[in-house]
Amino acid sequence: MAQTEKKAGLLRRTSSSKKPLKEKVVLMYDEIFAKEDPTKSNPRFWDELFLMKVNLEYLEGKLESLDGDEVMKIKDNINSLFHHCVQALGEEHQIKVVNALQTLCALFRGVHQKNKSATGFDIINMLMGFDKAELRMKELMESLDSLLCGDGSESLKSLCLKLLLCLVTVTDNISQNTILEYVMINSIFEAILQILSDVSSRAQHGYDAVVLLALLVNYRKYESVNPYIVKLSIVDDEPTLDGMGMVIHHALAEYNRQYRDKEEENQGGFFSTLTSMVGSMFIADADQKLSIQTNEAILLALYEAVHLNRNFITVLAQSHPEIDIATTPAVPVPASPTTPLGTTPPSLDMMNNPELPLDPNLQTSNLLITFLKYSSIVMQDTKDEHRLNSARLCLIILTCIAEDQYADAFLHDDNMNFRVNLHRMPMRHRKKAADKSIPSRPLVCAVLDLMVEFVVTHMMKEFPMDLYVRCVQIIHKLICYQKKCRVRMHYTWRDLWSALINLLKFLLSNETILLAKHNIFQLALQVVNLFNMFITYGDTFLPTPSSYDELYYEIIRMHQVFDNLYCMVLRVSTNAGQWKEPASKVTHALVNVRAIINHFNPKIESYAAVNHISQLSEDQVLEVVRSNYDTLTLKLQDGLDQFERYSEQPREAGFFKELVRSISLNVRKNVSLSTMSQDVLLKEFSSIS
Amino acid sequence: MGDTELELSPTQLEELQKSPSASSTSTTSSLSLPSSPSSGPRPLTSSSPSTSEGLPTSSPPLDVISEGVGELSLVIDTEVAKKACQEVLQKVKFLKVDGEVSSASSEPVLVNGTAHPESTDGGKPPKISEEEVEPVKNVRRRQKNNSSKQSWLLRLFESKLFDISMAISYLYNSKEPGVQAYIGNRLFSFRNEDVDFYLPQLLNMYIHMDEDVGDAIKPYVVHRCRQSINFSLQCAWLLGAYSSDMHISTQRHSRGTKLRKLILSDELKPSSQRIRREVPQPPPSCPPPLHHGQGMSEHSLSPSKRTHQRSKSDATVSISLSSNLKRTASNPKVETSQDEDLSSSSDSLELEAGTPVRLTPQREFIKSLMGIGKRLATLPTKEQKTQRLISELSLLNHKLPARVWLPTAAFDHHVVRVPHTQAVVLNSKDKAPYLIYVEVLECENFETSSVPVRIPETRIRSTRSVENLPDCGITPDQRASSFSTVPNYDNDDEAWSVDDIGELQVELPEIHTNSCDNISQFSVDSITSQESKEPIFIAAGDIRRRLSEQLAHTPTTFKRDPEDPSAVALKEPWQEKVRRIREGSPYGHLPNWRLLSVIVKCGDDLRQELLAYQVLKQLQIIWEQERVPLWIKPYKILVISSDSGMIEPVVNAVSIHQVKKQSQLSLLDYFRQEHGNYNTEEFLTAQRNFVQSCAGYCIICYLLQVKDRHNGNILLDSEGHIIHIDFGFILSSSPRNLGFETSAFKLTSEFVDVMGGLDRDMFNYYKMLMLQGLIAARKHMEKVIQIVEIMQQGSQLPCFHGSSTIRNLKERFHMNLTEEQLQVLVEQMVDGSMRSITTKLYDGFQYLTNGIM
Repeated sequence: MAQTEKKAGLLRRTSSSKKPLKEKVVLMYDEIFAKEDPTKSNPRFWDELFLMKVNLEYLEGKLESLDGDEVMKIKDNINSLFHHCVQALGEEHQIKVVNALQTLCALFRGVHQKNKSATGFDIINMLMGFDKAELRMKELMESLDSLLCGDGSESLKSLCLKLLLCLVTVTDNISQNTILEYVMINSIFEAILQILSDVSSRAQHGYDAVVLLALLVNYRKYESVNPYIVKLSIVDDEPTLDGMGMVIHHALAEYNRQYRDKEEENQGGFFSTLTSMVGSMFIADADQKLSIQTNEAILLALYEAVHLNRNFITVLAQSHPEIDIATTPAVPVPASPTTPLGTTPPSLDMMNNPELPLDPNLQTSNLLITFLKYSSIVMQDTKDEHRLNSARLCLIILTCIAEDQYADAFLHDDNMNFRVNLHRMPMRHRKKAADKSIPSRPLVCAVLDLMVEFVVTHMMKEFPMDLYVRCVQIIHKLICYQKKCRVRMHYTWRDLWSALINLLKFLLSNETILLAKHNIFQLALQVVNLFNMFITYGDTFLPTPSSYDELYYEIIRMHQVFDNLYCMVLRVSTNAGQWKEPASKVTHALVNVRAIINHFNPKIESYAAVNHISQLSEDQVLEVVRSNYDTLTLKLQDGLDQFERYSEQPREAGFFKELVRSISLNVRKNVSLSTMSQDVLLKEFSSIS
Repeated sequence: MGDTELELSPTQLEELQKSPSASSTSTTSSLSLPSSPSSGPRPLTSSSPSTSEGLPTSSPPLDVISEGVGELSLVIDTEVAKKACQEVLQKVKFLKVDGEVSSASSEPVLVNGTAHPESTDGGKPPKISEEEVEPVKNVRRRQKNNSSKQSWLLRLFESKLFDISMAISYLYNSKEPGVQAYIGNRLFSFRNEDVDFYLPQLLNMYIHMDEDVGDAIKPYVVHRCRQSINFSLQCAWLLGAYSSDMHISTQRHSRGTKLRKLILSDELKPSSQRIRREVPQPPPSCPPPLHHGQGMSEHSLSPSKRTHQRSKSDATVSISLSSNLKRTASNPKVETSQDEDLSSSSDSLELEAGTPVRLTPQREFIKSLMGIGKRLATLPTKEQKTQRLISELSLLNHKLPARVWLPTAAFDHHVVRVPHTQAVVLNSKDKAPYLIYVEVLECENFETSSVPVRIPETRIRSTRSVENLPDCGITPDQRASSFSTVPNYDNDDEAWSVDDIGELQVELPEIHTNSCDNISQFSVDSITSQESKEPIFIAAGDIRRRLSEQLAHTPTTFKRDPEDPSAVALKEPWQEKVRRIREGSPYGHLPNWRLLSVIVKCGDDLRQELLAYQVLKQLQIIWEQERVPLWIKPYKILVISSDSGMIEPVVNAVSIHQVKKQSQLSLLDYFRQEHGNYNTEEFLTAQRNFVQSCAGYCIICYLLQVKDRHNGNILLDSEGHIIHIDFGFILSSSPRNLGFETSAFKLTSEFVDVMGGLDRDMFNYYKMLMLQGLIAARKHMEKVIQIVEIMQQGSQLPCFHGSSTIRNLKERFHMNLTEEQLQVLVEQMVDGSMRSITTKLYDGFQYLTNGIM
């Protein structure tokens, strides 16, 4: 796709410039593509070349148009072009540096475009020559490192990052990009960190730096030792981690804000059609400013940080002023096409300012809250492939968070109360809750709310089984923490119970359709075991004795669902077949729920009979429950409070490979856009020099 | 002992003035110095020889001298003062004095005569002054006729009875410059802590009284400022606060402001770095994690290297040799700084101390705390304030540990962390005072001990990382064994998570399998739990019962109330809070970990509070001395400016208002709930505590006329004591709106109920205690009056409103009454307070009936 774009650009250019005279730089490129050594005719050839404005399209096009043999013939010239590019990076003259960076960009891309089938080694040979490759790349990486870390021009740094992003994304599959092996050896990790730790550079290049880091971490993640993984996992410098958090926070908050604006816009005239609008919004809008893919890159960065670096967990709780709730439409500088990557977060003033602003209307927020809100938006609609992936990644991140002791500690911290306005899918049968009414609660309540919301809103034909499993696992992990640490949350558990019961009901009624694709027994088992947690360990984490009564009430009220479930699993487990074993597990798990139902139902019936009441009120049922506990015996089940820890490999490896591929494609597309706009950059420097 | 000190302290002062050539004599005189507990004179003498050696340090003072003519005057001035004292002194004790001392004291006199003019150009230690030359002449003139009159005084001054209180009193009352100058010199001989108590008085005199007093005080203040950062800052803050009542135009040029500027300019450094060198090197005495801090702090300059080092996990190191570590630079540095001689170690110290950041970290710390208070005040709701407070503090945490400390604490320490989620906003209408808890590490000396190294919040990694292993110079075997000495806090599978393995894989693949065992700990657990195949049955009733029992088991906690967030935090027993915070802190495992708390007040004038603290403290000392078992709790006050400061919170105490609101019980019933039934020992102890504290505070309320005594301003601690807080309305000031707080003190029927009721034993004991307390206080009235009187100088505080404040205060001590009459007075006051109860009840009744009608 990118190729066609370039072709088009090329055509346009040639057609527009009808003059017979070719640009000087083009002539010089032609000299390189001739077999002769260009310095023969002009000893100062290379010096002059980098003073010329780069014609990316021509250079790239030329490289593309050559076939393998032709390339081998001019290999020496290309090698020396590369070599002189790298040398030019050390020049004092900034214009030369800019031109060299862009030329390198074109080189990397042009060579890859052409040689899609060629192996990485061929490419390295073509660009640098086998014997020199290691040295050249070392020089290149060192130059880039010093450019990024020095106090030179910001545009130059930005261009360096572009070049790196370009280099990282030249192949669809990042792990097949052999040149990156040299980037592994000559690490630019420290430079990335430095960008993130400095307030002003973070504001300007933070996004690119974070995306670059996320991509580099994913290079041959599973096959070999990636030094970026190792290094990222041990960063403990708070300002740096915080800076990274800020960049992510900002990108997500910006997305949230834009979504919110859009939503309000749509609410204006046709409130009734909102449902369909929201659903189609992201697909319909072709020129969407916020592309979901770019956010995937940020999400991936968040995931890697949370997953790899334990210290990053503290950043999640680090408070920032809320951005997306800002009363004034906070400087909505739309990401103009000229902005590099089309994604550099606007209104970065927030990040420039280390002091929290003094606005009484401003709610304090933190990365976790912003992430939860973002997740609530993304999870609303999972039909689209990208959004499904985003939602999956969100749930994976939440899984990692729910497993972390420190994160759990602040999620449950009674002193850290926040109002979290989650986005709820507008549905016909319920009203949108007024934002103001949300009480200030510990953060775990928001996480649970989000999970409940997901459970309630995704019972559909295209059943996202995988997401459901993750969702229930997250709830389970949180409850395990509460049980272990005896934390009693004042959460309306009833919402969760009824959502879970409804989920079981949905599984039952769509048994045949679902069974064709999924193992519904696994999910059913997890749900039933959640109930078992409440039933047998409720004393350790429920907030009040009456909440335990309510649990029983809810089970008794919905006993039909459990009865049906039992019938179903019994039926399946007695038949031989692939579901025999998983179904029988569910039958065992149901023992306590059934005991409760069988114990209390006759008692309630006789109570009704004795008191001549046809329909018992809730209080009356609770009364019966309370007075009949002592005659009920429950079975303690094993391993209820144990869970399998999240591990990326091997289960998630495929998902991440695909994810990284899609991010690579997207980043590449955006980088190519940006390099065209480097004319602006050139002008800046030509006016300086 | 008093004699020798008397002799020597002027001598030393002089040594300070002398040219470098006199350094040899000064060292001898310092040898003859009695080893007094106060560190006062010692660094002074030791400082002079070092100035002579260290050329660079003597140069800045020279600049100052060249600029100001006044330099000369101060030098003369103290010398004259000293001479005056000594002349008289020698007359009086000519025969008694033994040879050694007299020679020591006479020698300087000789030197003075000659060295006088030259002394200006002879590279003085940094003594700066702005005074004119003129007063010196006056002094000289007066000094002649003074001498004879002073002989009696001098006898007193020499006597052992002469304490700091008397010194302050004479300094304040005497009009004789000689006496003032003498006392100025005598200040050096008192213990630092004793003088510190009167620091507000000293500085207030310095600011507001005539120049002679100021001149007498200044050398001492300057000397102490050189010694201690803490003292410097205290002085600067107090000087600022007490100057604030002056008119702005005079304030700018006042002495107090100048001295404040001088202190804050940080020119009053110790005369030389040598002082620091003489302090025993901190590393050996400090616990291991502390001394590794040195290496880390240097190391942190290069993040890339640091990460390199970090990547070596403990296990790696235990196998790889120490040569591996040597490359990473940080550890060898630590070692050399321990082993090598003074010169190299001082280099590393100078890195920290030599730069002009002596006062800066602490000032910044205080400033940011105050800034938080100011910003909180703009937020409308308690909830927002609390959220903002927590987030602001979490940002503050990033800058810790640092060479900062809480001035209200009684021991030297460095602040390492603010457990931000524990902070609470206190109840206040328009201001935003807040309470924070502060984790500190106790240390030998906060100026010289190295700042602890930062431990990340998620501490598990760091407790196991290379840097925190006790020593790096040991063999691998030893190091492996030293693992056990590192506290192992992570008994769950968190210790080695996936990333650890990845990291280990890189460096030492064979470790991988080992750590794998760790990670799968939980699965081992689950296996063992499955071993018992027997099904276990539990009764649902038991679960339900356990739930209600566990919830009922914690009756003494208060419910969380968004409108009163502090109630819960304050109710939690201190020990429990300490334990809880310690558990959650990455520094908690260090043996010198302590928890402190402080209330930060922004927008409030704490000068009256400080005055009240001083009076309370004085009375407490008096009662202790006179063995009257009254109980009061003076809490420390730090005045930072005329509208900000810090308060040391009273731990384990909640306000009576909170008690009543939360428990919905009468005070007596609450006592029974907390301490048991009437005749239990616990209850009786609590009751006695209540009576003793109540009597103490009644006297204080009467003497100081403490007003605005509502239940929010009276605390009840976990032992039954009451504690009055908020001394915003004392002496001549009272809340405008109501004049009906006319009774001598607050005594409600609820209080009487707790005491067992009228005319019961405990109630009589209460009255008896008050009588005894008054008698004791009366005996030492001067000490109390003096504190208040001096502070009245130049003050616009509302408590000094009107002209009769001091007279009225004196009258309330009733010096003219016999003890019988005093007893009658106590009865009358108690009666009066009781009557005011009945009137109040009557008022309430009236209101109700009227309302109903």
